[in-house]
Amino acid sequence: MITLHFDEPLKNPDVLNYTWTQALADLGQISPIAALTGFMLLAIVADMSLAKGRRGGVVAMIAVTGFAYSMATAAYRWLYASNGPAYHGYATGDSFALFFEVLFAILGILTVAISHPYLRTRGLREGEFHVLIMAAVIGMMVLGAATSLVTVFLGLELFSIALYIACGFVRADSRSQESAAKYLLVGGFASAFVLYGMALVYGASGTTLIPEIAKRIASSSAGDPLLILGILLMGVGFAFKVSAAPFHMWTPDVYQGAPIPVTAFMSVGTKAAAFAMIVRVFAEGLPHLGPEWQLLLAFVAATSMIVGNLLAIAQSSLKRLLAYSGIAQAGYILIGVIAGGKQGLAAVLFYLFIYLFMNFGAFAVVTLMTSPEGDRDSFSDLEGLARRSWPMAVLMSVFMLSLAGFPPFVGFFGKLFLFTAGVNAGYTWLVVLAVLMSAVSVYYYVRVLVPVWSPVAEPESLRPSISNWLAIGLSGAASLGLGIYPTWLLLAGQLGAGPITGQ
Amino acid sequence: MTLTVLWLLPLIGGLLIAFMPPHLAKYMAVLVALGSLAIAGFVALEFEPDFHKYQFTEVLPWIPPLHIYYRLGVDGISLWLVVLNALLTLIAVLATPVSMKGASRFLGLMLAMSAGMAGVLMATDLVLFYVFWEAMLIPAYFLLWLFGEGDRPGRAALKFVLYTLVGSLLMLVGVIGEYVFTGQQTFDLAKLSTIAPSASIQFGLFFVFALAFAIKTPLFPFHAWLPDAYAAAPTPMLVTFAGMMGKTGAYGFLRIAIPLFPDPSWLWDWRWVVPVLAVLGIVWGALMAIAQRDMKMLVAYSSVSHMGFIVLGIFSLNVQGQQGAILQMVNHGVIIPALFLIVAWIYDRTGTRDRSAIAGLAPRMPILAGVFLLVTLAALGLPGLNSFVGEFMTLLGAWQLAPWLAVIGGIGLVLAPVYMLRLYQGAMYAPEPYPRRVDDIYAGQLTLLAPLVVLMFALGLAPGVLTSLMTSVAQSGLAK
Repeated sequence: MITLHFDEPLKNPDVLNYTWTQALADLGQISPIAALTGFMLLAIVADMSLAKGRRGGVVAMIAVTGFAYSMATAAYRWLYASNGPAYHGYATGDSFALFFEVLFAILGILTVAISHPYLRTRGLREGEFHVLIMAAVIGMMVLGAATSLVTVFLGLELFSIALYIACGFVRADSRSQESAAKYLLVGGFASAFVLYGMALVYGASGTTLIPEIAKRIASSSAGDPLLILGILLMGVGFAFKVSAAPFHMWTPDVYQGAPIPVTAFMSVGTKAAAFAMIVRVFAEGLPHLGPEWQLLLAFVAATSMIVGNLLAIAQSSLKRLLAYSGIAQAGYILIGVIAGGKQGLAAVLFYLFIYLFMNFGAFAVVTLMTSPEGDRDSFSDLEGLARRSWPMAVLMSVFMLSLAGFPPFVGFFGKLFLFTAGVNAGYTWLVVLAVLMSAVSVYYYVRVLVPVWSPVAEPESLRPSISNWLAIGLSGAASLGLGIYPTWLLLAGQLGAGPITGQ
Repeated sequence: MTLTVLWLLPLIGGLLIAFMPPHLAKYMAVLVALGSLAIAGFVALEFEPDFHKYQFTEVLPWIPPLHIYYRLGVDGISLWLVVLNALLTLIAVLATPVSMKGASRFLGLMLAMSAGMAGVLMATDLVLFYVFWEAMLIPAYFLLWLFGEGDRPGRAALKFVLYTLVGSLLMLVGVIGEYVFTGQQTFDLAKLSTIAPSASIQFGLFFVFALAFAIKTPLFPFHAWLPDAYAAAPTPMLVTFAGMMGKTGAYGFLRIAIPLFPDPSWLWDWRWVVPVLAVLGIVWGALMAIAQRDMKMLVAYSSVSHMGFIVLGIFSLNVQGQQGAILQMVNHGVIIPALFLIVAWIYDRTGTRDRSAIAGLAPRMPILAGVFLLVTLAALGLPGLNSFVGEFMTLLGAWQLAPWLAVIGGIGLVLAPVYMLRLYQGAMYAPEPYPRRVDDIYAGQLTLLAPLVVLMFALGLAPGVLTSLMTSVAQSGLAK
């Protein structure tokens, strides 16, 4: 029989004695998110009140300032503040949350940096776009900070809805509309799955607070069909969101149709946010049911690596290629989640952080090809990049080689940490599969370099704007620099994983 | 610091040189290569012959959470290859024509590749070794692809990279496996050789490491990338690509596969599988060399055959064999670049590499004919020249392991004169001299070959200089 407990938080006396001091302390814990929300509101006001010609630039500046401020706050709290649960345990400002807040803030800055010139080129309205990106980033940050199933869902919907709109941002382009519709439908399904699973887990445990669930659900309840079904449903929903096979079908279509900055943002952001969610719910909330969800995720990881890598070979559009590569990369990262522990989760955080630079950088270079008529992302559009701008060709090579896992670029170290954790946890078969599939992946990553370095007779000129230079240059510097000395980021990852593993 | 400079100098130099105008680039590249050679020479002179552990060691914490350290060192196995690498890099740089399209980028990539190979030879931490091992593929890929000859150099480059990667990515599992399964959580090569895991785990780990090294060497039957890659590679690149790159595979056997896995036996013993493949490679490479009409391919297959001797020597697991193998690595690195250079010069002058299309060149170019004869004799293992000593020692070692291995390997020695002398005689001598007037090699080209020819004599007449320094090392490599 199922017994339901409704003992908190409404019956919790603390709720009635919520003091101003407590309120301020709670707000402090989520201050990076709160600050960004303030900036978003400011951006909305600016977008409505300023003259048409000036809006875009000002909103972009507000967005960048907001992200930078948010990142600075998170960094400050990481170093100096005492971090812990807030709002009766519904959210937290622990190091795991802060790690992701920094990650998403950087992602936000990079996205604004490449979308500003992009939107100019295509003649799209800028203000709304940046506001949407800010809203999505807030949702993602909420996911990182969520310690309750309710908050998790809140964050999930917040960033998803913002992205549904962002995907269809080019109203005149039917492909963009198609992308938005597909993402909306599939995303809706995924949310429903997650919600249903959460409901079942809530039913079995009687609480939505993740640390509380961990306490109440012991390994003895492993056979409980309610829990198994809950894990299964949540797992399916999560797999949708990280775009892991066999729930990946939407990814290439949505990536292809969406405007490139949105694709770039999604490819990194949704993945990182969804992994934050998986780690929170599975690793922190259901540690005693490890064998169950690890089996599920191992299956998902294996299929993702195979499907992603094999299908990427056949692609002729860079967006689709990177979509499939992202599916494969999700498989690698899942190895770290499955391995778990301080080592595994640190590797996951490390990889998500570097994936930001490698993958975003690659998309950012493709963004440069944009013409006023639309995105240009076929292999032939990259032709002669080396002649058009050799530093861009070098940087694109760095991103591709890093994604392929060549040392000394950072992608190699990400894989090294993930795979080490995997072998340590006894998943050698999964690691061997991952390694073989990495060899396959080199084929299509290197294939991108062929048009980049092939000579053309009359190269078109390519003039990246300063913000493009900054975004791509920073990504490239991180892809190389973090490879030469990955230790600090790995240590940060270990600290970030601390709250999950209880160390 | 000395060893760090030895790989950092060509790397940074290469990166800068890639953006210089061609003439300055070549001048600077020669300077950088000379500098590297000088440092390598200094290391060789300061090397303590009676001390069998790593020398010139450098240790810095790199990724302490995973016990990964930046460890460099040289010992009697790697020292000679480090020197050879520096020497071949200098020759390769000198052999690069300034008029070549994109000469600066070519020189930059060459130096970067040389830096990677130096790193492989000096790394004494497994992860660091792996990093260099993989990183040297990047310049090699771009060199083959952007500067390759033939119709589809990109295809040859990709084939080379994918082949090598399948092996080396599996090796990554092995690297991690060593870390996990030894239970000591260390990547220190010196320490790992004292804590071998159980025989069945050694069996698995040996397989992944040996596969990577076998593909790189290349060992028969993993050599399928070699003909395409060597055919596509431009000649200056071949000097180091054929002269050193393959040797890193053989070096890996000697540095990692043998000492870390002293007993890789479970269903069978891997230490018997490899020498069998080695002798098969000796014979197969020689037979394929006989069948070639393209001179460049002939030399390429003869290289497969020679690499077989090296691996055979390594896996004879005794002092003579392993000494011979090290000696043979140096010999091969001296002879093969010389052969490729000569073939390329003949091609420059006659416009063909088909050996049946050229005959009677000797009267037209007597100096080249003379040098070519020397190199040919060295390659086929004439006593008094360097290759003889190495091949003899490897066969001696193999004989102690199993006489039949030495006997089959000996067939390679018999076949070598067949293809080498046929090549030489066919190209150089004929009743009629070559119909067109062709220039003899220039003084500069002769100067390029001079150090190699001198080494052929020196190593052939006094191999003891080298082996006396190596003896103890091979022993310590065996006895740990």
